[in-house]
Amino acid sequence: MTGSGRLLRFMLRRERIALPVWLLGAALLVLVQSTQSQNLYETPEDLANLRRTLGGNTAVIAMSGPVRLLETIGGEVAFEILAFVSILVALMNMFLVGRHTRADEESGRAELVRSASVGRGAPLAAILGLALLANLAVAVLLFAVTAGTGLPVRGSFLFGAAVALVGLFFAALTAVAAQVFESVRAAYGAVALAIGAAFVLRAAGDAGDGTASWASPIGWAQRTFPYVDNRWWPLLIPTAVAGGLAVAAMALLARRDIGAGLVRPRPGRAHATASLRSPLALAWRLQRGALVGWTVGLFLLGAAYGSIGDSIEQYVADNPEVAEFLPGGAADLVDAFQALTMVTLALIASGYAVSAALRARSEETSGRAEPLLATATSRRAWLSSHLSVAAGGSALVLAAAGAGEGLAYGLTICDLGQLPRLVGVALAYLPAVLAIAAVAALGIGWLPRAAAVVAWTAVAYCAVIALFGDSFDLPAWVQRGSPFAHTPQAPVETLTALPIVAVAAVAAALALGGYVGLRRRDVGY
Amino acid sequence: MNAVNGPAIEIAGLTKSFGRSHALDGLDLTVGTGEVHGFLGPNGSGKTTTIRILLGLLRADAGTARMLGLDPWQDAVALHRRLAYVPGDVTLWPTITGGEVIDLLGRMRGGLDRTRRDELLERFDLDPRKKARTYSKGNRQKVALVAALASHAELLLLDEPTSGLDPLMEAEFQRCVERAKQDGRTVLLSSHILAEVEALCDRVSIIRLGRTVETGTLRELRHLTRTSITVETARPPAGIDGLPGVHDLVVDDHHARFDVDTAELDAVVRLLAPLGVRSLTSTPPTLEEMFLRHYGDEETRTVPAAIR
Repeated sequence: MTGSGRLLRFMLRRERIALPVWLLGAALLVLVQSTQSQNLYETPEDLANLRRTLGGNTAVIAMSGPVRLLETIGGEVAFEILAFVSILVALMNMFLVGRHTRADEESGRAELVRSASVGRGAPLAAILGLALLANLAVAVLLFAVTAGTGLPVRGSFLFGAAVALVGLFFAALTAVAAQVFESVRAAYGAVALAIGAAFVLRAAGDAGDGTASWASPIGWAQRTFPYVDNRWWPLLIPTAVAGGLAVAAMALLARRDIGAGLVRPRPGRAHATASLRSPLALAWRLQRGALVGWTVGLFLLGAAYGSIGDSIEQYVADNPEVAEFLPGGAADLVDAFQALTMVTLALIASGYAVSAALRARSEETSGRAEPLLATATSRRAWLSSHLSVAAGGSALVLAAAGAGEGLAYGLTICDLGQLPRLVGVALAYLPAVLAIAAVAALGIGWLPRAAAVVAWTAVAYCAVIALFGDSFDLPAWVQRGSPFAHTPQAPVETLTALPIVAVAAVAAALALGGYVGLRRRDVGY
Repeated sequence: MNAVNGPAIEIAGLTKSFGRSHALDGLDLTVGTGEVHGFLGPNGSGKTTTIRILLGLLRADAGTARMLGLDPWQDAVALHRRLAYVPGDVTLWPTITGGEVIDLLGRMRGGLDRTRRDELLERFDLDPRKKARTYSKGNRQKVALVAALASHAELLLLDEPTSGLDPLMEAEFQRCVERAKQDGRTVLLSSHILAEVEALCDRVSIIRLGRTVETGTLRELRHLTRTSITVETARPPAGIDGLPGVHDLVVDDHHARFDVDTAELDAVVRLLAPLGVRSLTSTPPTLEEMFLRHYGDEETRTVPAAIR
C-alpha cells in the first residue's frame, strides 16, 4: 500500500473538474425535484389525490419506485428521484473508478506509476479511497439539498446515505470489472449492464410483490423508505457487498499481470466483411453503437411520457397551474400533453443528430479522416457518409420516441392505434431535426474549429424557443428562426405538408453549403 | 506503366502559410517515374505539408504541383486511385481490427493483392485480428504499410514510414521498397534514417525552412561536399595551402591532414604525386555530414569538425 496516500492526492487533482460537475449535477437534480414537489403538493389532500392517481398506474410505479413512499411529501420526492439520482451517482462511480484503474492500465500510465516506489495494491486502494470520499460528498450534498429545502432532517440524512451507498456498491463493482476485463470499454459495458439490471429488477419488484427489488442496489436504497419509515437496516446489504467486492478486487489484482485481465478479449476479424467497402459502411460501423443507445433511451423516455398520458387529466385537475405550460391550454389535455412531450423528444433527437454529424469533425481532428481522404474517396462522399448516418439515425430515434409514447399510452387506454399515430407525429419533426444537423454540416464546411459550438448553440436556441418562447414573450422574428417553430405541433395543430417541406428544403440547402465549404478548405485544420 | 510521360511528381515554387508561419517558401521537387526519391529535412521543414498538398488535403497558396500528369487539388479522387499513402503518425479506429483497416483502405483505393497482403502480414509479423486500440505505434504503422504495399498503386507516398519500426522490420521494409522499385513503382520516401535513404534512394532532395536546398543523386551531392585526406609523403608536403578548396590543413613533418572540396580533389592529387606518396587515405563525406551541413545553423555546423 506504499504511496496510496500520495496517489489519492494526485487522483483528486486529476478529478478536480469532472468530479465536482457530477456532484453538482446530482445535487441539482434533487434540488429541482424537492422544490417542484413541495410546490405541487402543498397539502396532505394533494398527496392523497396523487396516491389515488398513481397508486394503480403500473407504468409510473415501474419508472419511479414503491407506492409506500407516497405517504409523505419527502417520500414523494424520494419516489420520483431516488432511482434516477442513484443511476447518476452509479455512473459517476463507474467512470471515476474505471478512469483510474483499467483506463490508466490501457494507456500505459499505470505502468509508469507502478514503476515508482508504489505498492502493487496502492493505486486500487487509492481509487477506492477516493470513491469513498466522493460518495461521502454525495451523502453530504444530498442531505444539504433535501434538508435545506425544508424536508425532515432524519429522512434527509437517510436519503443521502442511501444514494451514497448505491454509489459505493457500483464503485466496488467497477473495481472488480476493471480486474476482469482487459479494456475499459468492456468493463464499462459490464457495469452499465449491471446498473440497467438494478433498475429493471426494482421496477419489476415494485410493480409486483416486491421480491425482485431486494436483488437490486437501487431497491435496497428505496426500501429504506426515507421520510416514511426511516429504516436503516437495508443499507447493511450494500455496505457488506461493497466491502466484499473491494476485497475481491484486491485479491484478483494480486493474481494477474499488469495489462492483463481474466477474460481475454475475443480476437476480431482478420478480413473485413464484404460490406465494409465504402465510407458509408465505415461511418455506420463507427456510429451504430451510439445510435442503439440513443434509440433505446428515447424509446424509454417516450414510454415514460406515454405512461402518464392517461393520468394527465386527473393530474391537471389536481394541479391547475400545470395547464399554463401546455400548448392549446387545457382544452384537450391529452393532445396538449402529447404535443409538448413530442417537441421535447424531438429536441433531444436533434441532440443526437448534431452529435452524429459532428462525428465527421472529430474524425478529421483526430487524423483518422486523412488516410480515407488519401484514397479514392471524395470529400463529399466522406462528409455524406456521416451526414447520412445522422439523417437515417434521426428518423430511427424519432420513430422510437413516438413508438415508446404511442405504445405506453396505447396500452394504458387499450388502443394500439396510438402507436402508428404517435410515430407519425414524431416523424413530422424529422425535417426540423435534420435542419439542425445541417447547421452542424455548414459549420464543418466553413467554421470547422467552431462547428461544435455553432451546432450546439442551435440546439439550445431551438430548445429555448420551443419550451419558453411563449412564456418569455420573445419577438416573433426571434422565434421564426427555429425550424421547430415551423413544424405544426401535432396532435394539437393539424399537420400540413407545406411548412414541413419548406424546412426540409432549408435543411438541404444548409447541408449543400457545408459541402461547398469543405470542398474549398484545407483538411485537418 | 507510363514511364515515358515525364516525371511522376513535378513541383515548382510551392508556397503555403498557416496564419503567420510559412510552412513552404518556394519549394521545388521533381521525382522521375520509377525512381525512389529520398525526401529529407529537419522536423518542421515542410515535408509533411508538401505531401499533404500532393494528396489534395491542403491547397497551395502559390506555385504549381503536378502528379502523374494531374492536378492534386482538382483531380484528387482520380489520382488517389493510383497512389497509396502512409502517414507519419498513423491513427486508426480503435474498435476496428488491423485486418479490416487494411481491406477497407485497399478497397477504397481501388484493389488489393490478397496474396501479397497475407505475405506482408507474415513478413511484418502483424496480427490482423487485434483491435486497433491495442496496437503500438509500430504496429499501427505496419497496418498502413501493408495496406499501401499490397495495393496496386503506381505511386507510393511514404511519410517517415519506419519511425516506429525495429531494425528487423526496417530491413523487411527496405526489401519491400526494393521490390516496389523492381515493379516499376515510383516512391517518394520522407525519412530521417540515413542508412535507409542511402540504401534505397536513387535521388534525394534536402529541404530546409520550406525550400529545397539540395537535390540530385547521392554521388552528385557528395561531389558538392568535402573529402577528408590524410597523406604521408617522402618529401615534406609543401604548397597544399596554396591550392583552392583546401580547408583545416594540419602539416606535421611528412604528414598532412586536410579537407578538400570534392570538386578540387584532382588538383590536390596532382600536387601530391611528385612528392612521393607513401600512404594516403581519403574519406568521402558521409550522409550525416551532408545532413548536418544542410540542416544545422552555423553553430551546429561546427560540431562535426570538433568531433573529427
